[in-house]
Amino acid sequence: MPVAAVLKVLVVDDQNSVRQMTRITLEQIGIRHIHEAENGKEAMGTASLQPLDLIISDYNMPEMDGLALLRAVRGHPAARKVPFILLTGRGDRELVVKAAQAGANNYLIKPFTADILRQKIEQVMGKLS
Amino acid sequence: MSSLDQLKQTFFDECSEALQQIELGLPDIRDGAGSEDTINAVFRSVHSVKGGAGIFGFEDLVKFAHVFETVLDEMRSGKLASTQEIVDTLLQANDVLTDLVSMSRSGEPIPPDFGSECRAALQQILRANSDGEEIGDDDSPAPAEFEGLDFIPVRVDNFDEAPPENLESEYKIVFRPKPDLLKKANEPLYIIRELRKLGKLDLTVETDRLPPLEEIEADRPYLGWTGTLRTSATRQEIDEVFEFVVGDCELEITPAEAASACGNFGSVAPSDETTALPSMDVAPSLVPGTEPTPTVVEATVPLSATPADRAAPAAPVAAPSSIEPAEAVAPRGQAAKPVVGATTTRVELEKIDRVVNMVGELVIAQAMLGQVVHGLPEDVSARLVQVLEEVVHHTRELKDSVMSMRAQQVNAVFQRMPRLVRELAMKTGKKVRLEMTGENTEVDRSIIERLGDPLTHIIRNSIDHGIEAPQDRLAAGKAEEGTIRLSAEHRGGRIVIEIKDDGAGINSERVLQKARDRGLVSPDAALTEDEINNLIFLPGFSTAEKISDISGRGVGMDVVRRNIQDVGGRISLKSDRGRGMTIQLALPLTLAVMDGMVIRVGTETYVMPMSAIVECLRPPASDIHALIGTPGMLRLRGNLVPLVQLCVLLDIDSSASASDERVIIITDAGEGARFGIVVDELCGHQQVVVKSIEESYGSVPGIAGATILGNGRVAFILDVEKLSDIASSQNVQTGVTRFVNGESRAAVAVNQMDAMRSLHQ
Repeated sequence: MPVAAVLKVLVVDDQNSVRQMTRITLEQIGIRHIHEAENGKEAMGTASLQPLDLIISDYNMPEMDGLALLRAVRGHPAARKVPFILLTGRGDRELVVKAAQAGANNYLIKPFTADILRQKIEQVMGKLS
Repeated sequence: MSSLDQLKQTFFDECSEALQQIELGLPDIRDGAGSEDTINAVFRSVHSVKGGAGIFGFEDLVKFAHVFETVLDEMRSGKLASTQEIVDTLLQANDVLTDLVSMSRSGEPIPPDFGSECRAALQQILRANSDGEEIGDDDSPAPAEFEGLDFIPVRVDNFDEAPPENLESEYKIVFRPKPDLLKKANEPLYIIRELRKLGKLDLTVETDRLPPLEEIEADRPYLGWTGTLRTSATRQEIDEVFEFVVGDCELEITPAEAASACGNFGSVAPSDETTALPSMDVAPSLVPGTEPTPTVVEATVPLSATPADRAAPAAPVAAPSSIEPAEAVAPRGQAAKPVVGATTTRVELEKIDRVVNMVGELVIAQAMLGQVVHGLPEDVSARLVQVLEEVVHHTRELKDSVMSMRAQQVNAVFQRMPRLVRELAMKTGKKVRLEMTGENTEVDRSIIERLGDPLTHIIRNSIDHGIEAPQDRLAAGKAEEGTIRLSAEHRGGRIVIEIKDDGAGINSERVLQKARDRGLVSPDAALTEDEINNLIFLPGFSTAEKISDISGRGVGMDVVRRNIQDVGGRISLKSDRGRGMTIQLALPLTLAVMDGMVIRVGTETYVMPMSAIVECLRPPASDIHALIGTPGMLRLRGNLVPLVQLCVLLDIDSSASASDERVIIITDAGEGARFGIVVDELCGHQQVVVKSIEESYGSVPGIAGATILGNGRVAFILDVEKLSDIASSQNVQTGVTRFVNGESRAAVAVNQMDAMRSLHQ
């Protein structure tokens, strides 16, 4: 059973406000180790430097978008098995399908509550404790 | 401020950046200059506004941004052509979005039908493009789940979970990373974690290669691991764990109880990962080795190969083997180097301002220290002076760095102009195009803040009075569309902002007539064209026949001029009748700290900005020519430079003004108009902290501010610009009427306009 307090989560979004909101929400469900990255490139840097337990990434970003990041993560020797949740705006079904095909483990529609976030993470990683 | 409020502020700041991006991108798209990246950037910006607005609960913003974004998306995917009409609608949409953001920011209630017209126009574009297909309003709540999507089941980290039951075989594992493993950004911990997921892992760490502490190099692996893995996983699954590191470590995977190895050992079923990880296009395969010699493996088999192909070489794995690298695999292991870009951090402005203030105090303290040191006997001070020079040097660098932190691009002001131009053009029925250059020029925040109003006013004037109606322009043989060029650049320690239009220019007859009607100029005064044009800077001057609701708001160019002068800037204009006019604003780069020359006149000490000084000299008396009605002219390299006695201007008793001791400072008052200021002594060059006196005394012409000198005394900073104005008006009057109110030092404080008025009466 994954222990929330020791999970290392990487939040990727080009908007600082959204990153911070996501951080606050993650903290609400007991996650304490939170890394941040502004875009896919930066995220890959972080992901290849340290073991992560989960990546939550926005789709729409300059430099390297969420899908490209997902593909890069899945192709990276060290990070390829890290669970990946894609953040999307509402109604982006096409995108979610693409993400699923590319190996995303789940998706999250903005805006989201702590409950929904927990639910999605648990769907991916099992019940948090 | 709660953290949520703070986050909202961050969000709104991001919105401003996004809106600016949109504002910059759309005109390029309209002109066909925009690349795919431009459209993408604009789309992304609208999308960011929408995303953030959703999170922070600004529903109106979300709704509008959604339609906006949909149109951009169609354009991005090439389904919608970017015609001028459509882009114009998008520009309007950006204006609406800007308003919505600012209303949301200030917490104003948003009128229920706000922007509905523009939204309808956007929806119309979509409808026209999609042949009547109804465009969703996106009012429906987000779907809870997308049905029928198969997400890849992730193999969750086991953490403390019990290892899978049904252990079928045990392997002996030897794993010793080589330096390359770390260099390729692989992580032994990952590997061990992965192994642990396969079954019960029992590893012992080998520390015998570990050197003494002082010899440890951080990027070399010294540890190795040996142990056993009890697992039901196939041999291939175990190999897969090491897939990317096989070349970069010593590795042995040996079935510990070969006898008990179970049947499924050799028969490798295609694993789920074939589909789960499409990027894995190579996998190491194994060639049976002859026990106990390790075998070198060359072959690699793409995953797309049939199971039979893959199973064949892997089948007789029962024999122990160690894996050597296959060349084709190695490049896969080369992980991307971490990307390091220019990173930024947001700092509250207040904090930077505090640092700026501290640096200011430091500059003063350092000047005081200098004074003390120079007062010491030389044998004591010699070494101190050396150290002090270093301090001076560092203080200057510190000041420059801090000021650059506070600097902002003029774009912060410029970005508001395209919308202004658009709206005014629409209101007046004129066609105007705005071209901007040098938006990235940096200048101190304090200047930026005070640049907005003057710039807005000048551009309003340009469109309202300068640019002609389309038919008039055609009749005059000009392009139907008028152009306003807005540019910014650094020039000689100042920032110069130029607003240039190709309109009708100033109608000097009409200006002169107005000035006479209003009694601003005496009826018989003979004025040059330039002098007439400058009359528009007089208070209460307006040439518009009727007061329009655009520029006739009771604020004239005099206010613009005062605003610019208040920050130590100057404004000048050039008009070319029928061709257009140019207004130039020259502003200091910062208001807080500046380089100054400390001068003495009589017993008084003043500071003159170094940026205004061209050269200082002590000429022989023979070079000074008396000219009736003036304080004299200096012959300087063949040119005559008018002189100004600072003591007269400020009405101070000067001891040296008549003697050869006096020093002449040649200053540049802009437009190449040079004149020499006569002072008694130059006391030295130092950095001074500008303290505003305006709050306490109001604006005093000729004085830009005050500062504290090294000796702790307060000195005024001279406004050379203004002094030159006062002096030139004085020069003209001298002999006719003395400078009005020229009785006391308060003369300087007398409104300069009074002086100018008296000039023409």
